[in-house]
Amino acid sequence: MRTVRSQARSYPLVLKTMLVPVGYTVERWSYTLQRVTGVVVTLYFVLHVVETGNFIGGPNVWYVPPKDFAAAYYQHVKELLHNPVFDAGLVVIGWMVAFHTINGIRLTLAHFGITLGKPARVDPESPPRSFSNLQRAIFWASIALATFAAVYSVDALFGVLSG
Amino acid sequence: MRERNVMLVHYVSGIGILVFGAVHLFTVFFTKPLGETIWETTMLFEGHQFAVLEVYRNALLATSLWFLLLFTTIHALNGLRVIITELFPVPVVRTASKYVLFALGVFLMVYGTRTIIIAHMIG
Repeated sequence: MRTVRSQARSYPLVLKTMLVPVGYTVERWSYTLQRVTGVVVTLYFVLHVVETGNFIGGPNVWYVPPKDFAAAYYQHVKELLHNPVFDAGLVVIGWMVAFHTINGIRLTLAHFGITLGKPARVDPESPPRSFSNLQRAIFWASIALATFAAVYSVDALFGVLSG
Repeated sequence: MRERNVMLVHYVSGIGILVFGAVHLFTVFFTKPLGETIWETTMLFEGHQFAVLEVYRNALLATSLWFLLLFTTIHALNGLRVIITELFPVPVVRTASKYVLFALGVFLMVYGTRTIIIAHMIG
C-alpha cells in the first residue's frame, strides 16, 4: 500500500517529465511527441469512426436506408463540419499523423535492430544520447514531412495555395 | 500473449496502417484537381470518382477501409495501453484499462463495420 501511495505522489513528476521535454535532448522530444500525437490521433480516430457513421444516416441506422435519406443526412452533417475551426483542427491532425508515421517507422526499425549504429563510449560531460546519426536524421525528416503534410492539408481544406 | 509478441503485433499493425492509410489518403486528398478543395470534390456524397459513396461502393476500396479500421483499432488501443501502463504502473489500473480498451475496440469494430457494409449496399 505504501508503494502505491508513493507512486501516486510521484505522478505529477512523472506527468511533467513525460509531457514537458523542455530542456531535455531531442530523444526526449521524440518520446513525448510520439505519445502526445498518438493519443490525439486516437481521439480523432474514435470521433472519425463515429462521424463516418453519418454517411449512412447516423447511429440509429442498422439497415440499408434509402439513398436520398442518407444523402440528406450526410449533407446536414457536412455543413456542420465544414467550418474553419474543424478545418484548422484537421491541419493539426495532418501534422500529427505524418509525424507519428515517420517517427513510428524509425521506432519500428530500431526495434528490429536497424539504424541503431555501433555502441559508443559514454561521455560524462555530454548530455545522454541514444539516437544514432541516422535516427536523428529520420526524426528531423519526420518533423519536415509533417510540416509539408500540414501545408498540403491547408491547401486541400482551404484551397489557399492553388487558388 | 507475451509483451514482446504484443509489441510485434503493434508494429505489424502500424505497417498495415501505412499501407491501407496510404490508399485512404490517396482517395480523399490526392485525387482532387488543383485549385479545388476536398469539400468540393472527394467529400461530395456522389458525383466525383472518389466521392464518399463511390468509395464505399467499390468493393476493393471498401475492403481496404475495413482493414484500415482493423489495424488502426489494434494499434491505437494498444498504444493507449502502453501509455497508461507507463503512467500508472499499478496492476489494478493495468487490468481495468485492458477491459475498457477491449470494450472500446469492440465498439469501434462493430460500428465501423456496420458503416462500411451498409454504405457499400446503398443503391
